[in-house]
Amino acid sequence: MQRDTLVSIEGVIKRFGSFTAVRKMDFEIRKGEFLAIMGSSGCGKTTTLRMLAGLEAPTEGVIRLSGKPINHLPTWQRDTPMVWQSLALFPFLNVRENVEFALKMRGVGKAERRRRAEQWLDRMQILEFSERNIAQLSGGQRQRVALARSLVVEPEILLLDEPLSALDAALKVRMQSVLKNLQRETGITFVYVTHSQSEAFSMADRVVIMSRGVIEQIGTPQEIYGAPRTRFVADFLGSSNIFTGKVLAASDSGVQLETADGPIVLKGARLAQPPRQGATATLTVLDTKTHLSMTPPPDATNVLPVRVIGEEFVGATATIYLETPRGQEIRVQKGHEDLVGLPLDIGETLYAHWAPTDSHLVAEA
Amino acid sequence: MRRPISLYGLTFSLPLLVWQLLFFVFPLVFLVALSFWTVKNFTIRPDFNPVNWVTMFGKPVFWQAYGTTFGLAAAASVLASVVAFPCSYAIAFKLSDSARRMAVFLMVIPFFTSYLVRVYSWQIFLSDAGIVNVMLGAVGLGPYPMLNTVGATMVGYMTLALPLVILLQLFSLVFIDRTLIEAAHNMRCGRIRTVFEVVIPSARVGLVIAALFCFILTFGDFVSPVYLGGGDPTTLSILITDTTKSGQQWPRAAVIALTMIATLLVVAFLSVRFAYAGQAKGSRT
Repeated sequence: MQRDTLVSIEGVIKRFGSFTAVRKMDFEIRKGEFLAIMGSSGCGKTTTLRMLAGLEAPTEGVIRLSGKPINHLPTWQRDTPMVWQSLALFPFLNVRENVEFALKMRGVGKAERRRRAEQWLDRMQILEFSERNIAQLSGGQRQRVALARSLVVEPEILLLDEPLSALDAALKVRMQSVLKNLQRETGITFVYVTHSQSEAFSMADRVVIMSRGVIEQIGTPQEIYGAPRTRFVADFLGSSNIFTGKVLAASDSGVQLETADGPIVLKGARLAQPPRQGATATLTVLDTKTHLSMTPPPDATNVLPVRVIGEEFVGATATIYLETPRGQEIRVQKGHEDLVGLPLDIGETLYAHWAPTDSHLVAEA
Repeated sequence: MRRPISLYGLTFSLPLLVWQLLFFVFPLVFLVALSFWTVKNFTIRPDFNPVNWVTMFGKPVFWQAYGTTFGLAAAASVLASVVAFPCSYAIAFKLSDSARRMAVFLMVIPFFTSYLVRVYSWQIFLSDAGIVNVMLGAVGLGPYPMLNTVGATMVGYMTLALPLVILLQLFSLVFIDRTLIEAAHNMRCGRIRTVFEVVIPSARVGLVIAALFCFILTFGDFVSPVYLGGGDPTTLSILITDTTKSGQQWPRAAVIALTMIATLLVVAFLSVRFAYAGQAKGSRT
């Protein structure tokens, strides 16, 4: 165990009857980090969070908090406050009483309780609403009450279960920066469950990507974005073009792949385990590193003739959807200035190409 | 905005309107009028004389019966609420969905049998030579006088109100957001404390309404105080029958009845206000 490990999850399995929500999970949560657990619904991310909170007990394996096993410690004996998706604010208490609740349960005196609650309400910029009912607050204000309520006990770790999912897009972005700043200032470890890639990647120091109860990849957003470990991750992120084919040649510094649309080359990588010749392998290339031209560039190695099938403009960037003669879909993301002069009408033929050094080999196809 | 009354709508609403006028508003108005009539030589005469009100409110017997009835109904409401709560809590939170449906069904069954029949069957249990005393006698205890006591009246009240109180409590408990309970646990609120800190406040409206129904049912009940309580102490419903029997004093009985209606209105109003206290002010959706 590393010195800065706060929580370690060791061989954890969670079954509900015949359904396995989490299969064999191992990872560590570091002290003071912002960790996002991401995946589509039913992937086991919320179950994982609930096990950390003590709302579910693992069927197998050990969860340690600061080195001590906490598997069967009920939630009311742990200091693992959680922010619920529904926020779970008490409608029969006013804002201040909601924030005071956890302190009251710890036997903190009335005056001290009030002082600490108001301090956090002030910090969350909702002090003026402290005597209001929950029903009288807006979505963003409720969000802040929920955060204040969990943070008022100044825990080591805060668990968040998709707390922003009910907010509109603009408010979501604002709350993301509130959360990120809060985490930085307090140094409290945040474990943030979400299905939203933008939330996870914009806030988290490290991201855990889960699928069907299994961790697909753990790493910084940059690591995962640039080098998806599995085909699932590459698909899930949706920011790469993915090619699968038979390995023609492989060494520890490159791979040559024979795909339906022709050969594709990867160079300049450091492959710990180059794939066997004749095996099936998958290469990815980011859509931002994929280029377009009207004629095939003379010196390029990875060139595919493509047909325009659609385009999408969001702000300053454009996404062009293309198709190879064999039906492989390719996306290219570029700024408008990079696309000047290219015929982008649907049905036009262009050439997609990228540098061999911009490819990435997916470890597990 | 006023909309013209359609014949179609009128066809369906008119019978109810007529029914309400005929059997609710009219009798109530008549009851008020009756309370000002006078009785001379055992005949009731239309009049406008407050003498019945003055007489009844001047009688210690009336106030004694009023106190008894109010006290018994209040005690029954508290007792029924306290007895019902663990039961409805268990049905709401500990049973599976199918078992809960079964429990609700079982709670409805008592209503299949007339309340009077159920009270008579209690007599068989509670009388001096009844089932309970015979069983106690078998182990060398008793016999204890159980029938014609306040305790027996209370048993009758519970027979009347408990199933309804449990059902009403149950429906308010079932709709509590479970994440509120988890959130309380997560903030170091233990199981028992969560019941008081979260479950009861969340179900407040339903719990108060359930107690209110118990009060309404028992405050006006005639059967239990007579057939299980033996008519002693006298409740207002017993006093009404006594008043009508003695010298045709229907106007005085009307005074008692109107006082009871007024009491229930006040109690109902205060209960509902208490139930929603702190929630209604300025809440928005």
